[in-house]
Amino acid sequence: MRRRRRRANEHGIWYPRWYWPGLASPGALWLLVLFLVPLYTVLAISFGTIDPIFRDAVPIWDPLRWNSAAFIDILHKLAGSHSFLLPPVERTLIYVCAATALCLVIGYPVAYFVARYGGKQRGLLLVLLIAPFWVSYMMRMLAWINLLGSDGWVNRGLQLLHLVPHPINWLAGDPITVVLGLVYGYIPYMILPLFAGLDRIDPALLEAARDLGAGRLHTFLRVTLPMSKQAILAGMVIVTLPMFGDYFTNDLLSGSPRTAMIGNVIDDSVLTPGQGTDAAALVILLTLLLTIPMIYYLRSTAKAMREGV
Amino acid sequence: MDVHPRRGGRAITRRAFLRGALGAAIAVPTAGALLEACATSSESAATVRTSLPLARRNHPVRWPIYKDNPPIKSGLSPERNATLKIYNWADYIYKAVVNDFADHYNCKVEISTFNNTDEALSKLRSGELDFDVMFPTIDILGKMVVSQLVQPLNHSYIPNLTKHVWPAFQDPFYDRGWRYTVPYTIYTTGITWRTDFVPDDIPGMQNPYDIFWDTRYKGKIHLLDDYREAMAMVLLRNGITNVNTTSRRDLSLVSRQLQELARKVDPSLDVSDYTDVPEGKAWIHQAWSGDMVSSQYYMPKGQSPRVIRYWYPPDGRGVIGNDLITVLRSARNPVLAHAFLNYMLSPKAALKNMSWNGYQPPQRSIDPNKLVAQGYIPPTLKSAVVRESDFARGFELLELDPKTDALWHDVWQRFKAG
Repeated sequence: MRRRRRRANEHGIWYPRWYWPGLASPGALWLLVLFLVPLYTVLAISFGTIDPIFRDAVPIWDPLRWNSAAFIDILHKLAGSHSFLLPPVERTLIYVCAATALCLVIGYPVAYFVARYGGKQRGLLLVLLIAPFWVSYMMRMLAWINLLGSDGWVNRGLQLLHLVPHPINWLAGDPITVVLGLVYGYIPYMILPLFAGLDRIDPALLEAARDLGAGRLHTFLRVTLPMSKQAILAGMVIVTLPMFGDYFTNDLLSGSPRTAMIGNVIDDSVLTPGQGTDAAALVILLTLLLTIPMIYYLRSTAKAMREGV
Repeated sequence: MDVHPRRGGRAITRRAFLRGALGAAIAVPTAGALLEACATSSESAATVRTSLPLARRNHPVRWPIYKDNPPIKSGLSPERNATLKIYNWADYIYKAVVNDFADHYNCKVEISTFNNTDEALSKLRSGELDFDVMFPTIDILGKMVVSQLVQPLNHSYIPNLTKHVWPAFQDPFYDRGWRYTVPYTIYTTGITWRTDFVPDDIPGMQNPYDIFWDTRYKGKIHLLDDYREAMAMVLLRNGITNVNTTSRRDLSLVSRQLQELARKVDPSLDVSDYTDVPEGKAWIHQAWSGDMVSSQYYMPKGQSPRVIRYWYPPDGRGVIGNDLITVLRSARNPVLAHAFLNYMLSPKAALKNMSWNGYQPPQRSIDPNKLVAQGYIPPTLKSAVVRESDFARGFELLELDPKTDALWHDVWQRFKAG
């Protein structure tokens, strides 16, 4: 009887039926418990109602009874005569684009250097690149508060050198501080995929390009850069997605309404009685928006695999 | 947002969200009768979801005592070998005071903390916690009573209230007959500033609130990240003393002026007034009196706290308030919990607690005029002293009906979205 439940593979080894699905089950369970369930909960809250007394969000689990009031409310806040959510949305786009571009501009040469010229020190250099991960994101941002404060080390240094007459107020709602904070916080996530991508390029291809008469710049532009496109895309997706929802960097380094991003609006709504459904609706809309770059990345990866790049 | 070394956690401490909107409908004239009716019916309070009375000075509320949630009997002795579980704002009580209590009653005390009342309410409602004592704010009291999260007090265990507490709190408008609460601390909301950075004579200004709109201090002006407090400040600036206004016209005026403020001075929003001002991060800050009293302990070494000033309208027409202590229905040690309330109202414990957290208790034995001489409050901060008479003239931020509350939030969200 036992035999019937087993199948032999081409090598004649028998596995129970549950063997292969069993291997997939931890991953499937992970996805179910830590992704699908929370996502459905957010959906149920966004289409839910508000408790009349306690004013917290009451999820509606049955999709047939979903209530779209929160989405209509958010659309009114985004567009229309009394809208006010557009400035934070625009700000988020500008800050994230600027921070991603800066991450790329700063991260690419670093990754290139480590991959191509790291030599025996590559291991050490990689460890140094990962080192910031050992300190929590919040602690790193708190460190910047002490460095950039009015009586922080940076201001003290600048004044000591007579470069500025008064301390510079970086932490009082300065968009540049917020963008640089984002860059600092997320740049390791950009460097690592770039390094992985650049490291995989066969040096023989670069030598071939040089042999065929391409100069250093041409070799870079026509061989290295196109071949690292997937790594660039991966790095950009990895840093962009969390930046869109980031509110902590802004809270810590600015705290001013003048630099509020969409993450701050969501954070405020979550903490505001009566606005729980609005917060969930904003999360769903942001998630939908972020699936666009994700789909582009997946399509591009699939295309690259087909073309064997 | 700094992490308070004593209060810890995310800096949305204490009153940050405590004004947090408490839902509830108006139904003022009939609410008392309605609640009494509910109390006598067999219907569980959890199903009373439609309306709550809004306590006001001119409309005091006497909360009902439900048949299935009676006070404990008199003459019981405190539970033995007990662990009293306290649920409080992060670091809002002096540990040494709590330890004294534990020694006296030969019990253990465990303090758990919450960051805002919404968080606390949702945890309490989950029904999985068995805390004995909680420190709520006036504006969530109605919700807690109606949903029977708190238990009525047996006054025979709490003689200190009548003996030691200001008469104004013997029969407060928010809880007539103090059926469910005793007062904890009192405070005012005003303006604080650093004299070494701001030479202006703020108390001498025709309208001191105008300082928040002064472009010379751009980047150094902070408001409390609390929609009720910040918006009430704008109302008071315009001479509107109804800080619980339901008027759309008032609220649109507040909205315009907050937008103007955001444009002009790039304000920061936080509740770390007690550290931002001594550290020089903020030069001008909307502030709570108790936080200013404790700010002296956060001054960098070698600097005098005398550069910090606090202004509250000298005529007493500003925002004023008090926090509460209650015994929860989930209490496993209700007798010990009553003893704890009584203990916190003793002059010795109350004063010792104030010496640490800066917030004044409404105690008869404390002469506000002597707090400066006794060294509890620096002479430069004597305006942070709260007097009993201030409550007759000041304005409390009280529960709003859900519709009005949504309007207030709308203005605040617009302001915060920049």
